Amino acid sequence: MSDTQVPGHHAQDKTAQLHRELEAVWRNPHGWRALTVVNHSTLGLRFMGTGLAFFLIGGVLAMLIRAQLALPSQAFMTPEIYNQVTTMHGTVMMFLFAIPVLEGLAIYLIPKMLGTRDLLCPRLTAFGYWCYLFGGIILLSSMALEMAPDSGWFMYTPLSSGEYSPGKGSDFWLLGITFVEISALSAGVELTVSILRTRADGMALHRMPLFAWYILVMALMIVVGFPPLIFGSVLLELERATGMPFFIVEQGGDPILWQHLFWLFGHPEVYIIFLPAAGIVSTLLPVFARRPIVGYGWAVAAVIITGFISFGLWVHHMFTVGIPHLAQAFFSAASMLVAVPTAIQVFVWLATLWLGRPRMSLPMLWILGFLVIFVCGGLTGVMLALVPFDWQVHDTHFVVAHMHYVLVGGMFFPLMAGLVYWLPLVSGRMPSERLGRLGFWLTFLGFNLTFLIMHWTGLLGMPRRVYTYDSTMGWDIYNLISSVGGFMLSAGIAVVLLDLALHWRYGRPAPPNPWEADTLEWALAMPPAPYNFASLPTIKSRHPLWHNPALGDEMARGEHALADASHGRREILGGEVLTGRVRERIHLPTNSWWPLFAALVLAVVCIGLLVRLYPLALGAFLVAVVMLLRWAWENGGHPVAAPLGDEEGDELPLHSRTQGGPARYTMGVSLIADGAFFHSLLFGWFYLWSVSPQWRLPEQSPLDPMLLIGAGIAFALGMLWLERRLRRLYAGNETRLALAFYLIAAFGGLHVLLLGVLLWQADLAPTDNAHDAILLVSLSYLLAHGLLATVLMVLQGRRAALGYVSTRLPMEPGVVALFWRYQLGIYAVLAVSLGVLPRVIGGGA
Amino acid sequence: MLGLAGCSGDYSMLDPSGPAARDIAWVWWGMLAFFTLVFVVVVGLWLAAFRRREHRERSEREVRRLSRRWIIGGGLLLPGMTILVLLVFGVPVGQRMLTLPLPGGEEPRVIEVIGHQWWWEVRYPDTGDGEVITANQLVMPAGEPVDFHVSAADVIHAFWIPQLGGKIDMLPGRVNRLRLQADDPGVFGGQCVEFCGTQHAHMKLYVEAMTPADFDTWLSARQAPADMGEDQQHQVAREAFTQHCARCHRVAGVSRGNTGPDLSDVGSRATLGAGVLAMEDGAITRWLVAHQRLKPGNLMPVHDHLDAETLEGLGAWLETLSP
Repeated sequence: MSDTQVPGHHAQDKTAQLHRELEAVWRNPHGWRALTVVNHSTLGLRFMGTGLAFFLIGGVLAMLIRAQLALPSQAFMTPEIYNQVTTMHGTVMMFLFAIPVLEGLAIYLIPKMLGTRDLLCPRLTAFGYWCYLFGGIILLSSMALEMAPDSGWFMYTPLSSGEYSPGKGSDFWLLGITFVEISALSAGVELTVSILRTRADGMALHRMPLFAWYILVMALMIVVGFPPLIFGSVLLELERATGMPFFIVEQGGDPILWQHLFWLFGHPEVYIIFLPAAGIVSTLLPVFARRPIVGYGWAVAAVIITGFISFGLWVHHMFTVGIPHLAQAFFSAASMLVAVPTAIQVFVWLATLWLGRPRMSLPMLWILGFLVIFVCGGLTGVMLALVPFDWQVHDTHFVVAHMHYVLVGGMFFPLMAGLVYWLPLVSGRMPSERLGRLGFWLTFLGFNLTFLIMHWTGLLGMPRRVYTYDSTMGWDIYNLISSVGGFMLSAGIAVVLLDLALHWRYGRPAPPNPWEADTLEWALAMPPAPYNFASLPTIKSRHPLWHNPALGDEMARGEHALADASHGRREILGGEVLTGRVRERIHLPTNSWWPLFAALVLAVVCIGLLVRLYPLALGAFLVAVVMLLRWAWENGGHPVAAPLGDEEGDELPLHSRTQGGPARYTMGVSLIADGAFFHSLLFGWFYLWSVSPQWRLPEQSPLDPMLLIGAGIAFALGMLWLERRLRRLYAGNETRLALAFYLIAAFGGLHVLLLGVLLWQADLAPTDNAHDAILLVSLSYLLAHGLLATVLMVLQGRRAALGYVSTRLPMEPGVVALFWRYQLGIYAVLAVSLGVLPRVIGGGA
Repeated sequence: MLGLAGCSGDYSMLDPSGPAARDIAWVWWGMLAFFTLVFVVVVGLWLAAFRRREHRERSEREVRRLSRRWIIGGGLLLPGMTILVLLVFGVPVGQRMLTLPLPGGEEPRVIEVIGHQWWWEVRYPDTGDGEVITANQLVMPAGEPVDFHVSAADVIHAFWIPQLGGKIDMLPGRVNRLRLQADDPGVFGGQCVEFCGTQHAHMKLYVEAMTPADFDTWLSARQAPADMGEDQQHQVAREAFTQHCARCHRVAGVSRGNTGPDLSDVGSRATLGAGVLAMEDGAITRWLVAHQRLKPGNLMPVHDHLDAETLEGLGAWLETLSP
């Protein structure tokens, strides 16, 4: 922040020097080493580019569907192929396009909007990308091999289970999607923590751009919403691979459990897709209305409430399953209630337009298209929430139409608005207004032609997912119109893509801040440097660039914080969650092969499971675990990650010198995800116990109470000791720290050992009945976590011995302690649920 | 490709023929009218905001007052009132389809429907001595409520007669209940609406409502023991049936197979193959010859090893099975 007084070219030299240094530290390597890149801008664009490719594949599948249904009794595709096509269309669009593209947008934009240089866990970003890419490729390869999944994109059991889908299609789906979901969870965790902990100095939560609020809620919803599907997929794959009867009624399972787990994920997922898109609207609309958004607080509250309500709606996908009517009434009312926060947002936007001085432009056109389509889809959504009406139109083309109105209107149109809006930032050039308008109108009209009429087709009784229909049904003309509209829609998208392609060459160079926006990303060079900002600003306003239009130049001249890269570290600032006040400097890891290698080995696990080479899968899995631990080794207090300097100023410590810093948050949010998985597991246990028609609890619990209690005592003792050592470490005492950690780990080892014996003695028959199967899964979950807790503790001992953990580097053990607390928590809950309750309530029932 | 003239019956929920479907149709039209109004007003306001040219400076207080009016009016009151009205009028509509005790205390008739890949098994329990089982056709009395007890033999299916009322899933291992009523005698379309695999598209159910008297006649005709001994004409076909078909298909008095559809009264049905083929002279033979082309992937094995004469004989005999 010095030298601003020095006039003339001396200052320019200093600035150039600063940028050269930053460039040297943050630069992306080329050639093969481009595979090691961890930079959020690069990876965000890779996410979006890959998502676009998958979108085109999903679009071609949609065109195949419309070609087949254009005329009655067509033999264009066989039913087998048609069912694969519809299943893959839904799967690709939902899992490989909608969510990853929005994640990519968030990964690209969030650090820029928050005024920082990268996300908090750059290697995790890269790992997420590779998991996404490999998972997507595995899933799509099933089409090339003509064994694509064909049970519909929500894979209802028992149609998707071993008996009725004996091929490999379901396995491709379950394994590929789980792989892709690892990616979503990675993004969810790191976006949450980055938004909470790496905002610019002074960017209190109430000054945060609305987009970041939307992404924060989306990320947390991913963290809580995806684990139920991962759990369901694990169960279904176990059933298909080994015969554990989780979903088979005769053996005590229940196919409806799958539906609950799927929609526990599936409904929040709709909002995971909608919220970021609404965030785009809330970001763009004030810019084009030329005034701050009206009712910022209302909008934030609406987003948060939407997030909460969306977890209480899943049963509205299951109104026809025959669940109790009181429950239906509850979920019906809850489903309608979600209209309230949505309506609040619509009227916040309206009020902003009304009180502003709106101007028309291409992004705004897409937003108007969004509004028309989304309001229509929202209204049919309220209709569908009414149980008796749902009983009529459920699983007809009416629902297909509604869903596309909500998803295409609610996600694709805002995404296009965002694409046009942020394109100059990425390319430095403006898209074509004329071509853009043509693309919009073709898309808009084509979309409505396709799907508006489809409501009517549904009311006339056409079920979804039929591969053909007979002319006597009276659905011919409507289907033909839908097909014509579908091809028009495709033409529109083609024009948009053409514009995108042409603009790189022929686009008018963009002036700085071309839309006169208020958020920090427009203070960047276009395209932005890999380090985004040469110096990190202090934020005093919700609209930093409206408040101080010269901020971009000031930052580029290095007049703000962290304007120094001579130390060769990638550094950002960490701040308080609420106030955004700076707390520490965070040193980020740099380019690495580990993310790619770890994802590759996980892909081998996936393929091993697919071709049923279980030893291969197991071996690869162990290699992956070792790799992930190796990856984590150079972190925290490790000298590569945080070399201890001779002179470190105290005013802003490096994060590894603090008692946890952002790593605690990362662990905490990861454990929330893990906890959501655990909740799904408990849900499965209690659901099967209470609802499954032929569930049988054995007369005598197979779990030995002494072993169960012993395992708990061993772990609790280790935990108590760990807490004590932590307090002493923070108080400045590090004598025999390594030894203590090893001995604590020994208690963990005893815990694992006792659990292992417990499992061995239980003599379960997991392929015989659902009770034993779910017991095995629960205990394995506990055992695996216990094992990981123990290994992490051993590593802490080693690190303490090497001096990576000390009174000067106290960060790591507090993070590991969080994991230990979690393990103790799940042990206690499982001991009660599996050990105590069956004894109290009684078996044999 | 397929001549489906016989597959009559309408599938439109907007052409209701029973009280439940009629109520729901009214709810739909009401919602459509009101929501169209909401849609036009909301979109109109947005467009108006663009067209407005009166932009005077407003004080901060004025802005807050105006915006609060918009947000509370449009964001809270509008959806809040709408939901209230919808629930008050909408929820009772569903009551009709619940199998609650009838006011008079009498028990409605029960018909069991079981979904298979890709056909319907229909059973009439408690009908005296003779067990009545049929397939792909549902005959019911008109003018009185009927309780349907539905389940599935393999995967999940869903039972839906749009003109009579809502749908309900058919689950393996569970029985779901739904009450429907047809106003008058007539023919309606029914179909499976839960994706159930390859031939989900061809899982239609022919539904016919009769006067209660006609229905009783229909039922008792099927309860009478089938008299198979007298017609020597089809002796050969019957033997072929016993040899090639009986393991899967039941014909009352002849065989007890239960993997495929019951054929005891197949000659009297309106369609074949769950709505694929209209029943007319020679239709069964055509089905036997070409069923994998007519309904690709259906679970009946091909009969290429049987000569045309045998198939024709079988077809001719089965067509006579009509009580």
